[in-house]
Amino acid sequence: MTSPLEARSLSLNREGNAVLNGVSFAVAEGEVFALLGGNGAGKSSTLLAFLGFLEPSGGEILVNGKSVADDIAAARSAIAYLPEAAALYGHMTAYENLNYFLDLAGKSVKKADYDDALNRVALPREARSRRLQSYSKGMRQKTAIALALLRETPILLLDEPTSGLDPVAIDEFHDLVKDLAGAGQTILMVTHDVYGACQVADRVGLLRRGQLVGSFAAENGERIDTETVHAAFAERETT
Amino acid sequence: MNMMLRIAKEEWRLWLRSKVIVVATLIVAVLLAVTSVLTVNRVASEQSQRLAQQVAAEATFFAQPDRHPHRMVHYGHYAFRPPPPLAAFEPGVDAVTGQSIFLEGHRQNTPMFADTKAAADLGGFASLNPANLYQLLLPLLLIVLGHALLLRERESGTLAVMLAQGQSGVSLAMGKALALLAVIAIFMLPLIAVSIHSVVQGENGLAAVSLVGGYFLYLCVWGAIVLAASIILKHRAVSLGALIFIWLFAALIVPRFAINASSAAIDAPGKIESDLVMLAEQRKLGDGHNAADPAFQRLQKEVLEQYDVEKVEDLPINWRGVVASYSEAELTDLLNGYAENRMEQEANQSGLFNLFGLASPTIAIGSVSRTLAGTDLSTHHRFLRESEALRFDFVQSLNEVHAKELAYEDDLNRSSDPEAERRTRVNSEAWRVLDEFRFTPDSASDRVDRASFAFGMLLSWLILACGVAFFAARRVRV
Amino acid sequence: MVDTGLRCRIFCSAEGAGLMVRDMLRESRFLVKDRGALFWLLLAFILSIISVAFGIAEVRDQQRTIAELVQEDRADRANALEGQEDWGGAAYYAFHLTYAPPSEFAFAALGQRDSSPWKHRVRMLALEGQIHEADTRNADFGLVGRFDFAFLAASVAPLLLILLLYDLRAAERTARRHDLLLATAGSSKSLWLPRALIRVMALFFLLLIPLWVASAVEGASLGVMIQASVVLLGTLLIWWLIIELISRIDASSSVLLTALVGLWLALAIVIPALSKAAIETRQPLPKGGEILLLQRETVNDAWDMPKEATMSAFLEEHPEWNAHATIEQPFEWKWYYAFQQLGDMKAEPLVAQYRSARLARDHEAGVFAFLSPTSFVERSFEKLAGTDAASMIAYEESVRDFHAQLRAFHYPKLFKDEPFDRDLLEGLPAYDP
Repeated sequence: MTSPLEARSLSLNREGNAVLNGVSFAVAEGEVFALLGGNGAGKSSTLLAFLGFLEPSGGEILVNGKSVADDIAAARSAIAYLPEAAALYGHMTAYENLNYFLDLAGKSVKKADYDDALNRVALPREARSRRLQSYSKGMRQKTAIALALLRETPILLLDEPTSGLDPVAIDEFHDLVKDLAGAGQTILMVTHDVYGACQVADRVGLLRRGQLVGSFAAENGERIDTETVHAAFAERETT
Repeated sequence: MNMMLRIAKEEWRLWLRSKVIVVATLIVAVLLAVTSVLTVNRVASEQSQRLAQQVAAEATFFAQPDRHPHRMVHYGHYAFRPPPPLAAFEPGVDAVTGQSIFLEGHRQNTPMFADTKAAADLGGFASLNPANLYQLLLPLLLIVLGHALLLRERESGTLAVMLAQGQSGVSLAMGKALALLAVIAIFMLPLIAVSIHSVVQGENGLAAVSLVGGYFLYLCVWGAIVLAASIILKHRAVSLGALIFIWLFAALIVPRFAINASSAAIDAPGKIESDLVMLAEQRKLGDGHNAADPAFQRLQKEVLEQYDVEKVEDLPINWRGVVASYSEAELTDLLNGYAENRMEQEANQSGLFNLFGLASPTIAIGSVSRTLAGTDLSTHHRFLRESEALRFDFVQSLNEVHAKELAYEDDLNRSSDPEAERRTRVNSEAWRVLDEFRFTPDSASDRVDRASFAFGMLLSWLILACGVAFFAARRVRV
Repeated sequence: MVDTGLRCRIFCSAEGAGLMVRDMLRESRFLVKDRGALFWLLLAFILSIISVAFGIAEVRDQQRTIAELVQEDRADRANALEGQEDWGGAAYYAFHLTYAPPSEFAFAALGQRDSSPWKHRVRMLALEGQIHEADTRNADFGLVGRFDFAFLAASVAPLLLILLLYDLRAAERTARRHDLLLATAGSSKSLWLPRALIRVMALFFLLLIPLWVASAVEGASLGVMIQASVVLLGTLLIWWLIIELISRIDASSSVLLTALVGLWLALAIVIPALSKAAIETRQPLPKGGEILLLQRETVNDAWDMPKEATMSAFLEEHPEWNAHATIEQPFEWKWYYAFQQLGDMKAEPLVAQYRSARLARDHEAGVFAFLSPTSFVERSFEKLAGTDAASMIAYEESVRDFHAQLRAFHYPKLFKDEPFDRDLLEGLPAYDP
């Protein structure tokens, strides 16, 4: 069976510098895979490569078993992407933003579904008709998450999804991610938050200087042990 | 002060490292240098050419053979307006008006063959001269250089650091202003060079210095506008867009709008229209060629009484010459009335146009620039008046010869009697009545006086823009 | 960022067309909320209204002037002819109005009507002394130029387009929306193309609507309106292409805008100015003053020359009056008018040179205009409006033709010594524009 997301010996260059060097991994359907790494480890670049924004300088990158380079549009239509500190349009309301971006994705969605999605991310009802420029960082992030939900794509790419969220919202978000995975969505998230990664991920990959240097999987229905991963992360970062 | 110098120096370092800015500045500098050299050369050659033409026209007039003096009235003369020295910087209305005028009896001609009539038509503003570049291009350069002066600090977060260190927004803004001022000072150099050249050519120092001062004011106005925008606006793209919009308005839209508005508001009739009205009046005055015209009966009565004779044949002077002289004077009165009226309407139109300087500093500097250079509309009007005076003088002097030196009998019969015709020819020495004509610009103090209103507008602009920048700088927060 | 592998999903099929419509609708809804863009568009609309309103006012004013002049001219001529007792005097005192009425589309481009004369009053004296008279117009005005539609379309519209489009991408990049937008849209074509296109079309129609309304009011022909619209669309598309190419450079908004404004300056101001200088050096013009000088010297010298010399030179051109060309009196009208025409004939080579140099300049300007969209648009509009240099030269030619008719009317009467008959003056040629 083909994996929805797969990187084979993936190498990436950005502005002449190698950011990823022969990384291989695959994310199975319904799995949550977290790539953990420090600043400049190549996390965000990996996501951009799956979206076809970066061309591999070596190796191959596959979405639903097909090379991204062969059909970027097909890859993008299968993926909902939540960028880091996602910025939507400040001069539009949450509804208008959702409406615009869903139009852009070629998806028609009923107004009632907007509210469902916004309820799931717990964006206050009174805020939904206000312009985003009056939102807090967390509210904006929630709107962007709602957008990703409404896309109803089989694959979800999350870039530092919980930055800017308060602790309650982070917990809610983690529950949401687990729900989505349970419903069969394939999720790849990149983060430097060890605790968050261990909370939601079925598997955690440790990325350092462009290489995958460790992998931790949840076993027997237990969550991954935060202490172990943290120790590995800290050790690898300092050496 | 040290702090401000430091900030200004930092700004310069940044500019010198930006390829876009260095390239833009170099292009403008080259354009300015090339245009200045070309215009200086062109104007110098036109000046000597027209002076030579004026001298040649006088020589030709003097060289005419013996003939009937009225023939010389129709033979006519030319007046040329050589460009003043500062036209090398600001050619002004020169290209539009035509610079020579044919002077003859019974008529006021218009200057003909303006350059623009036969120019290659490439649309809108297809001529470059140093003044244009200063008025249009340098403000754009200042915008490109300065639109992010202060907001760059905001964008990069250094503003917070600076304010936290206890610097005030005002001193920060002053430092930035100093950096921009240095740019303006450097770009004044070509103008200063042209001005010095013009002084060497005989221009008055006061006019040249005032011109430099006017442009310095103008560029400072733009500098202050740019600085204010960079303080008030929060995003570099917004600031640049807003400034380009202001430039578009001030440099392109308002001046043309003002032209349309002032020509619609004040109707200056064309020459044909006023000539038609005038012709009707002129017929009442009588035709000066025909001394028997009933219009001259009253004159005849007066002159006969004055000399105490019964018939015009008995007058000691030539009655036909008297009539020619009288009707020329009457006609000139009439012509001048219409000409003055037309010029007044034009001056009103231009006055209204210049008032739009309150809406655009570009209009104000244009007015300052043309006035100080001596290439403005009122100098052109003075040229028209002076050439008219020249015309009237030589025509009337010839009419005097006509009245005093020819016998009435001969004059009357010259069309039918070849002998009488021969006797009506006067010695060509008489052509010396023509005055030498050398058109010169107004005195420098007159020009400065005339430019003072537009100067005032520029100064108000500067105060306004600096005021806005100052108050915005005082309120700078992170 | 790389966007390789984008497939032609759009424009390739009927489905593609449907997608395009959907994209356009989405982007038009988006545009309605973009206050910055709305500001530029509204400004374009207002400027367009102002430009055609001023244009119509000016054209109406010129029409009114012509109507008044026609009346006054008739009255003045009647007045002048009254009391004349011979053909020579009648020809000497009767002025005739000639004029080029503004076309129905002249309101959009006043063009050369501002620098070349479009009305004269001529009489049967040497024409060269009359035709170069310029009906004076405020010199300050000629310096700055008018705000007409041609100027708006040629110079201002490109700047507005630049301001509308320059940071479509760069602004999204700065706001960190770029990747999300593209990832959501799938391809860049279904995002940037409709987003830019809707702005170009909005600008196009907002500029065009006042022009169409004004054209309808003034009664311009449909053909002219369509051609003008095509020219406007063409220039907007060319500038769009330029902006599109420049804004692909991965630079900040302000660098892009600087580059674009620089390019605009080059294309709208510097290249036309350089072209003009080059053309005028390549095609020198004989000094206009020389024409006048030659003509006047000839006319003045004739008074002193033997009358036979004048008449025989005249007869070379007009052999038909051979039998009637002896001059017996010291002054005879036919001799007078003969040397007037000699003045014109003497100046003719210079006049021809002057005219052909003007035409050559205009021709070359037409070629050089391909280097600058601004010049091209202005010239195209002037051509459509009949206010280009060629039209003004054609008007001058019609004045010359009319003057020739005047001579043809009077010569038989003067040379054959026909008895003066006031009623025959009814048959004086009338200028028909």
